[in-house]
Amino acid sequence: MTATATATARTFACKVAEVAVGKPRIVTIGRISVGIFQLDDGYAALLNICPHRAGQLCEGPVCGTTRHTDRAEFIYERAGELIRCAWHGWEFDIRSGKCLVDEKLKARIFPVHVDGEDIYLEMGR
Amino acid sequence: MFIVDTDVHNYWSSAEVLLPYLEPYWRDFLVRGEKPGPTGSFPHGHRPWLHPEGFSRHDIKPESEEDNYLIMKEKHLDFYDIDVAILTADEPLEASTLANYHYANALVKAYNDYMIEWWLPKDRRFKGSIIISPTDPHGAAAEIRRIGGHKDIVQVLASHGSQRPYGDPFYHPIFEACAEVGLPFAIHFGGQGGVNHNAVASGPTAYYWETHALLSQPAMTHVVSMISNGVFEKYPDLYFIVIECGVSWVPSLMWRLDANFKALRKETPWLKMLPSEYCRRNVRFSTQPLEQPQNVKHLWETLEHMDGQNTLLFASDYPHWDFDAPTNLHIPPAWRDKVMGLNALEVYKRIDAPAATARVA
Repeated sequence: MTATATATARTFACKVAEVAVGKPRIVTIGRISVGIFQLDDGYAALLNICPHRAGQLCEGPVCGTTRHTDRAEFIYERAGELIRCAWHGWEFDIRSGKCLVDEKLKARIFPVHVDGEDIYLEMGR
Repeated sequence: MFIVDTDVHNYWSSAEVLLPYLEPYWRDFLVRGEKPGPTGSFPHGHRPWLHPEGFSRHDIKPESEEDNYLIMKEKHLDFYDIDVAILTADEPLEASTLANYHYANALVKAYNDYMIEWWLPKDRRFKGSIIISPTDPHGAAAEIRRIGGHKDIVQVLASHGSQRPYGDPFYHPIFEACAEVGLPFAIHFGGQGGVNHNAVASGPTAYYWETHALLSQPAMTHVVSMISNGVFEKYPDLYFIVIECGVSWVPSLMWRLDANFKALRKETPWLKMLPSEYCRRNVRFSTQPLEQPQNVKHLWETLEHMDGQNTLLFASDYPHWDFDAPTNLHIPPAWRDKVMGLNALEVYKRIDAPAATARVA
């Protein structure tokens, strides 16, 4: 997540100003819809298709969730690190794309590079 | 592929859309009377459960009443190339939770008029459901007779939450009216509150996901009751459609019913067939929310035991959180034409068959 240029093909996604913490930007690149997220420590990008039932993953709320506990206490944590799919509400880690209840289920992630005011994605296969 | 979506919820942004359709006394009641929420909320006896994320998909964000249609058109009807969408309302089903059945009747009547005037003319793909409140079967029957002849009305719809099992003779005036106007009687998940306090057996569960997983419970009771009380002997052509109550429970229930009936048929001498035979002939089930086992073959084998190829009707439940997309419905590929649309033609006689498709025998 640096501005360092590499040889990898990069695709312009959007301007930094178009994304805010908790308010992802949905962009269409070619025929692919991608959600661009600002996190506390940088940016992340997820394919806007949920691996569960192909719903519009990135249009759901950015949120946190309850920690696993051994008793009835509701410890809210990971605020801003999760996306809850707009359709069925399955929770995914925005950085890794992993589904919380089944880590084998993974949303596609794209490496993000910031160059000045511009956000670029690595979209190679 | 010809697609009939048997469960499309036509939302409103505010229940005040009903005001022009209410008689003055009931209009005052909705304007000045107590409501379960702020202005614009629909009167109902609330259920013990609150959905922690709300019921609607988060990508559906109407900003005006018109948006409720425009978004549905863009994201659902056009996107999936739906041929027929059966509107199943949303909050109006909850009128069945009110103790004041006069008010419940007035509210569903206003909804039905609003639906006919506002929704049906918007899109040639729309078909309507007459919403009734089962708390007053004679009032419901009058409403069915009042508008049951409308060419774009295809069914009568009540909540699956009720005060008694639907086969109870108390409700037979509803089925008599359905038979008279030639419409199926359908139930849809909902009405789990207020006077309908038996929505979950043994008492209310604590969490919404529990409750939702148990949505089959009242449906089981209703299917058994409709069969045992001889509704399908009295009205042999009546279809009973069970919407959004799950499906994989049907075979095991029929196995038990048939076994018990063989021993104790003397209790119900009016029945001439096995319970499972009435179910196969008169009952249809919407697919959504289709169960999701790890191995889909386990589901498919179960569905074979209820002749799912002929008894299932596709439903999406748009725009709810447990939506099933037509493109991602896990049913056997060989069943798709029938389940996605052709089976609906057998049940909903007022839906025109697609020109290129022969009716299923």
